[in-house]
Amino acid sequence: MFAWFFQFAPAIAVLPFVSFLLALVAGRWLPRKGALAGILATGGSLLLSLGVLAAVVSGHTHEQTLYTFVDAQETFSLTFGILLDQLSAAMLVIVSLIAFLVHVFSLGYMNAEGEPGLPRYYAGLGLFSASMLAFVFADNLLMAFVFFELVGLCSWLLIGHWFRDPAPASAAKKAFLVTRFGDYFFLVGVVAVLVTFGTAQFAGADGFPALAAEAIDAGESFFGLSAEAWVSVIGLLVLGGVIGKSAQFPLHTWLPDAMQGPTPVSALIHAATMVAAGVYLVARMYGFYLLSPTVLGIIAFVGGFTALFAATMGVVKNELKQVLAYSTISQYGYMMLALGAGSYVAAFFHLTTHAIFKALLFLGAGAVIVAMHHDEDMWLMGGLREHMRVTYLTFLAGSLALAGIFPFAGFWSKDEVLFDTLVVGLEQPLLLVAYLMALAAVFVTAFYTIRMVLLTFHGDPRTDVAESPHAVGLSIKAPLVVLGVLAVVAGAINLVPVEKLTGLRVSFLSSFLGSDRGLLTHNAHYVDLRTEYAGYETGAIVSEPVTVLLGVALGFGLAIAGAVAAFLLYRDADPVRHTERLGSIHTLLVHNYYQDEYQVWLAEGLSLRTARAADTFDQGVIDGAVNATSSVSLLSGDRIRRVQTGVVTNYAALVVLGLLALLVGFALYGGWF
Amino acid sequence: MWIETLIGLCFLAAAVVFVAPDRHAGKLAFWLSTLPLALSLYLYAAFDGSGNALLGGDVAYETRFEWLQLGPYAVNYHVGLDGISLPLVVLSTVLATLAILSAWTPIDERQSEFYGLMLFLEGSLLGVFAALDFILWFVFWEAVLVPMYFLIGIWGGPRRKYAAIKFFVYTNVASLVMFIGFFALVFGLGDAIGSTGLPEVAQALEAGQLGSLGPLGPEAVAMGAFLALFVGFAVKVPVVPFHTWLPDAHVEAPSPASVLLAGVLLKMGTYALLRFNFTMLPEQAVTLAVPIALFALVSVIYGALLALAQSDLKRIVAYSSVSSMGYVILGLVAYTVYGVGGATFQMVAHGLISGLLFMTVGVFYNATHTRMVGDMAGLADRMPVTAGVFVAGAFAYMGLPLMAGFAAELFIFLGAFESTVLPGAPVFTAVAMFGIVIVAGYLLWAMQRSLFGPYRLETDYEVGPAPLQDVVPIVTLVLLIVVLGVAPDLFFEMIRDASLDVVALGGEP
Repeated sequence: MFAWFFQFAPAIAVLPFVSFLLALVAGRWLPRKGALAGILATGGSLLLSLGVLAAVVSGHTHEQTLYTFVDAQETFSLTFGILLDQLSAAMLVIVSLIAFLVHVFSLGYMNAEGEPGLPRYYAGLGLFSASMLAFVFADNLLMAFVFFELVGLCSWLLIGHWFRDPAPASAAKKAFLVTRFGDYFFLVGVVAVLVTFGTAQFAGADGFPALAAEAIDAGESFFGLSAEAWVSVIGLLVLGGVIGKSAQFPLHTWLPDAMQGPTPVSALIHAATMVAAGVYLVARMYGFYLLSPTVLGIIAFVGGFTALFAATMGVVKNELKQVLAYSTISQYGYMMLALGAGSYVAAFFHLTTHAIFKALLFLGAGAVIVAMHHDEDMWLMGGLREHMRVTYLTFLAGSLALAGIFPFAGFWSKDEVLFDTLVVGLEQPLLLVAYLMALAAVFVTAFYTIRMVLLTFHGDPRTDVAESPHAVGLSIKAPLVVLGVLAVVAGAINLVPVEKLTGLRVSFLSSFLGSDRGLLTHNAHYVDLRTEYAGYETGAIVSEPVTVLLGVALGFGLAIAGAVAAFLLYRDADPVRHTERLGSIHTLLVHNYYQDEYQVWLAEGLSLRTARAADTFDQGVIDGAVNATSSVSLLSGDRIRRVQTGVVTNYAALVVLGLLALLVGFALYGGWF
Repeated sequence: MWIETLIGLCFLAAAVVFVAPDRHAGKLAFWLSTLPLALSLYLYAAFDGSGNALLGGDVAYETRFEWLQLGPYAVNYHVGLDGISLPLVVLSTVLATLAILSAWTPIDERQSEFYGLMLFLEGSLLGVFAALDFILWFVFWEAVLVPMYFLIGIWGGPRRKYAAIKFFVYTNVASLVMFIGFFALVFGLGDAIGSTGLPEVAQALEAGQLGSLGPLGPEAVAMGAFLALFVGFAVKVPVVPFHTWLPDAHVEAPSPASVLLAGVLLKMGTYALLRFNFTMLPEQAVTLAVPIALFALVSVIYGALLALAQSDLKRIVAYSSVSSMGYVILGLVAYTVYGVGGATFQMVAHGLISGLLFMTVGVFYNATHTRMVGDMAGLADRMPVTAGVFVAGAFAYMGLPLMAGFAAELFIFLGAFESTVLPGAPVFTAVAMFGIVIVAGYLLWAMQRSLFGPYRLETDYEVGPAPLQDVVPIVTLVLLIVVLGVAPDLFFEMIRDASLDVVALGGEP
């Protein structure tokens, strides 16, 4: 009966698009400058998404071509369509939920604070939501690319919302440019997929992942490469876009700068839209990635490395949103790690819980920022829990989830990521290294998370503003409460360790994503591919229950250890800046391992200098040659003109001499002599 | 009858405006220019042609009668449209009307002459795309230069004389080279043709009737003609290293003339390359595929780097045209449906988008009297709508999906990637595609410097929002770019249909 919702599925993206158009054209006359339209639209999207999810849970799926972009009989056509399977239906709910809550929150954060440019802001939010939702239900890679790029545009618009300040304008440029660099590879990948397979459909036996598997089986070759190698090349190309958008090393540098945008936008970017898009894309075409163990290994390694690398930088940050920014990079590293380890379910599970607790943390940070009159430095806060009970409790729930403390949502998903990587890592040394890095990151994550909570909410107020913070309204508190509750309970959707130890059937997400719907996008199919093409085998330490317990003990133990360490260091009423004692390491971390420096050098030093050299060459040599040609003509013309003296006797002499010359010439040539 | 009416209307309007009093000239020119615009839209709607006009396709709106006798060759008045020329005709009429509207604010002296020349230019451009006889085509081709020379030379910036003469001489020398190249083909064909009609020449060449010319064998004649034609058209496109007239002409030209220069005049070069080099001499094009693709690559990357180095907004847009036209060459040399079709589509898309950017820069200039990015910092604060339009245009130029530029570039990339004619096609394509990163770099940087940050321009008058007559044409163009980006088949379908026969000529090597 829920299949009835499928016919309205396009409206999930169309509704926010309409709110974008309304805000763009008539925003200044709309109630609340477009906020209400956005809330209604994303609320509608959320309801429809829930309907679609119910339909998919009850066993239906939907794939339909909606629009033919290029209808080419002579060669392959380009189409846009909608694919509603387990992955996209679940993701639609997450995205529309976060988008809806961010819209509500913005009422308190933007409208109540009297920010200028609200219609532009709500237009951006609407287009952002619409693009992401359309990206999620895209049924082919080209359509995914199209909306992936529009997501990038929206991030540029929203990060640079306060364009009168130089910093946001610069951050927006950086975000778009760095992700564009990744998208360049992605677009080459899209072109390669279309040209190689003649289709970019994700699902079914006609989809490109299935065709690629067939090509590998048949031992075909493309462009002088074996099918395996070519699949790896394409996989890596598309991965470029993923690394850019999901802010993985080395293209993570845009994300901390992107904190220049309004805080609700950060929540949207980090939790459900732009950054999530990269990881979601890998999951979407997972059947393709599983064909290439090389690429999987790279994904896992990049993920594990990024998880640890970003977490260490979070330790020394003094601004609330900066800590959260690095935690986002780190957490997406976990998802990449899971995908690289062949664990589709764990990756999506962590994507889900992370969306909830990261949206919560950003919105909580937004509430704190409002309370602090837009000061973000944690060293100027302290003691805020006395005045902001709701914000404190919900932010704490989100923090404990991020730190991976039992029984909060993040514990379950992180544990599953780590466990699944461990069992594969026992047979694959490279993955074991990635696992160990991610494991170390658990400690660091718990440390910086608890440090952040203590500095912000505990101890004595360190400034007058923190003494009497600005009160926040209901539109800020309500989203916090919703997300706070979810951050506590959302882990219950997939209690894998419980199932493994007790035999109770409580891993709901696993069975949902695993069931075969004939689209070849279910987990059971991926498990087959993983064994057949990636050659992944799983090991165990002693036995499975022992491994499960060991994994939980390691992960949870390290999280507790990190939390306790932070607690001991920062619990004082007036905490000390302990991290500065790290000396040169502190300097290195504060400067983000000098990653920005070399990228700025690439952009400004190298490119700009090359460009200037090219310009000099162009003006001097190429245009110089053109001007020289004309100078030669002018000069020779000038010289020849001197023959024209205007003196009649000279002309007469020339005429006579010329006639004589002609006569002699004719005489010699004509043989008169 | 329709095409004569179309071109005739432009010339007639030019004459009327020329003698009209200055104060009415702008309005009169605008309203008169809507007539050819409406007619071209009707021609689009009623288009019933199919196939390629040069290769025996079913030509729409064809008129043909004998005009004069040139030695053994009949010169016909022969015009008609196919799926390749019709989109360019529509592009020309749309841009001409909008450019005339955008001239209302900046042009305040010798108005009737200005608008008269604009309309004369429009008529000549339409003639170039519609003519199917070489002599007739050449007359229009050269006629385009005259109004443009005066538009730059009279209403241009401080170095207008230099720019106008450079433009005229450079492109005229190129025309001479091209003329010689074409007549080498005509004489080489000898008795095989009875007229200088383009279809006749193309079909005789396809049938392999090219003979020797003096000491040169048919192969050498064809190759020589190909090179002469290529160089002649490469100046117009322009392909690096023949591009240096372009930035000078653009910077000095008044903005409405820049719009037509970038929007339509450059397309004459690529259109002619498609009609002559790639349709008439496919074997030579295939033989030279690698060097041609290299020229395309250099144009794309080098042009983009040059744009990055500029700090005059108009120069930035001018150099970026060099880059974009490089993609067209890459698409043409691919000899695939998406390649040749995408190249043609890019001509239209780039015409709209570069027209939009030049027009918007003009609007900024009208208000601030500067084009230097550093000087206009924070302009979005004072001119939000125009700034928004510039943002839209810049993103269209960067190939933002669902805008025309993305569709065009995607088609070209697809077509070039799968090319069997070009050895190492995927590598060429991937390298050329890197242009999309550089273009994002220089346009985002230019926007950051010119539109954002604190407003700091010091003027002795108040800089405020642009007047309606400036905003209407640029907003219209944004809408057209989005429509074409969402529904490329509006043009791409007929373009593909007309490209198929050309693609077949490249064939399997």
